[in-house]
Amino acid sequence: MVRAIPRWLKISAVGFVILTGILLLAPLIVVVGVSLSQSQFIAFPPAGLSLRWYREVLSSDAYLSSAWISLQVAVLVTLSASLIGAMAAIGIHRRKLPGSGFLSIFFLSPLVLPTIIYAIGMLMVWSALVGPVSVLTLWIGHTVITLPYVVRTTLAVLSESDPFLEEAAQTMGANRVQRLLLVVLPQCLPGLAAGAFFAFNISFDEAVLSLFLRRPGLTTLPVQIYGQLEFSPDPSVAAVSTIMIGLTVCLIFVIDRILGLQRFSST
Amino acid sequence: MSDRTENLVLVLPGLLLLALAFLVPIGQMLVLSVEGENGFTLAHFSRFLTDSYYLGVLWRTIRLSIVITAICAAIGFPFAYIMAHVGPRIRLWLVLLVILPLMTSVVVRTFGWMVLLGRSGLVPDILRDLGLAGRNFSLMHTEAAIVIGMVQVLLPFMTLSILGILTRLDPRLEEAARTMGCSFLKTIRTVVLPLALPGIVAGSLLVFTLSASSFVTPNLLGGSRIQMLATSIYRQVTQTLDWPFAAAQATILFVGVLLILIPYARLTGARNG
Repeated sequence: MVRAIPRWLKISAVGFVILTGILLLAPLIVVVGVSLSQSQFIAFPPAGLSLRWYREVLSSDAYLSSAWISLQVAVLVTLSASLIGAMAAIGIHRRKLPGSGFLSIFFLSPLVLPTIIYAIGMLMVWSALVGPVSVLTLWIGHTVITLPYVVRTTLAVLSESDPFLEEAAQTMGANRVQRLLLVVLPQCLPGLAAGAFFAFNISFDEAVLSLFLRRPGLTTLPVQIYGQLEFSPDPSVAAVSTIMIGLTVCLIFVIDRILGLQRFSST
Repeated sequence: MSDRTENLVLVLPGLLLLALAFLVPIGQMLVLSVEGENGFTLAHFSRFLTDSYYLGVLWRTIRLSIVITAICAAIGFPFAYIMAHVGPRIRLWLVLLVILPLMTSVVVRTFGWMVLLGRSGLVPDILRDLGLAGRNFSLMHTEAAIVIGMVQVLLPFMTLSILGILTRLDPRLEEAARTMGCSFLKTIRTVVLPLALPGIVAGSLLVFTLSASSFVTPNLLGGSRIQMLATSIYRQVTQTLDWPFAAAQATILFVGVLLILIPYARLTGARNG
């Protein structure tokens, strides 16, 4: 006979999940709480409720201009990483190139290399060969670190696709470009779209590369927040942070619609 | 145009980008770390390895990373096990619980911990009320703060790596053990844990490298006195402007990470391939 799972164990499992949930969500909840505070000091639970810090943020040049830079970079990165990543994933997936196993490892390598190592190398190369850092530097740097995400999500979708569709299209007389655009691209679209949203999210939130590659006038939103935290945080930092959390929630919702969050439990 | 040419054309932009904007910067960093005024030198490395301050930084980095990894594994394994065994609705919520912090900027999450752990924060308040801490007690700028903050940042990585293995386990193995008279805890110990070990090890290697190289959280929660390797690199780059020395430290980190990533690639590669 199977012995039942002891009752105390089930109860402590529920307690464990709740405590872990608190650990995971606590910093986010605190940030949202602080942003609603009326007082000019950072305190949680907040003293009084108001939206004054959101007004503050929306009328602050420093926040708005850094948000604008972050948005520009994130959009550019999303476009370049999606295009380059999708092409690479299709090429790797067909497994007709010599060393395709090596290729996929190579394309995923920026994922495992610590960003700080890459950041310091990028800073050194750029200042030695090109000159002062610019939006272009951030664009290239973020494209490199987001590329693996696009390649991975696109490869995942392609590996479940029907390999005979392309062959069928070929026998029916479709040329290379038609096959690529009308058969293969629609097949990898869900993975590509999810990868694109990941790329946007990572670029928009990224702080390490952006901290090394900053100069006056080139601060992204996370770097701006970081700077405030180092010197004089007030609840307006919490308001900006809350807006960023809200954006993340939206992106997760979209990714769930496109690809399904259940996938995370099997990758 | 042959198939091969077409595939090459597809892969080429990515290859060029990674070669020029990824391999070249890393190579440049490695070169700079051994560059002195009169050519090749190992002076930057010997300076690091003979200075007790920097050896202390290195040792703290390794020590804290081990603690962080162990805590993440201790929480991550049971959490992933529960995720793998609840119904689809609850599982979706738990996945969300893991993904939401994972996708939120590290800067934002660290800010949350600064509020929670600071002098007037909730955690020291509770400890004071319980009589466990003195009146001016603050957790900010302590190693404990770094550990707490980093565990929250890295727990999702550990959970997802273990979950990936657990969802692929044959549920009949557990059922068989149970029908043969194994108690629940014994089944976990003798069946689930050994089978999940590759996931736990892979997750631990990943979490260890990430915590050894992370910099935003240790810098903000640890302050300037409690340096870790990555915060020390950042300081050399931005404050003392000693780039070759920074490159040498980054190279030490790089070699350490490579040594850990090789078994990691073996483990995850064997799983996928």
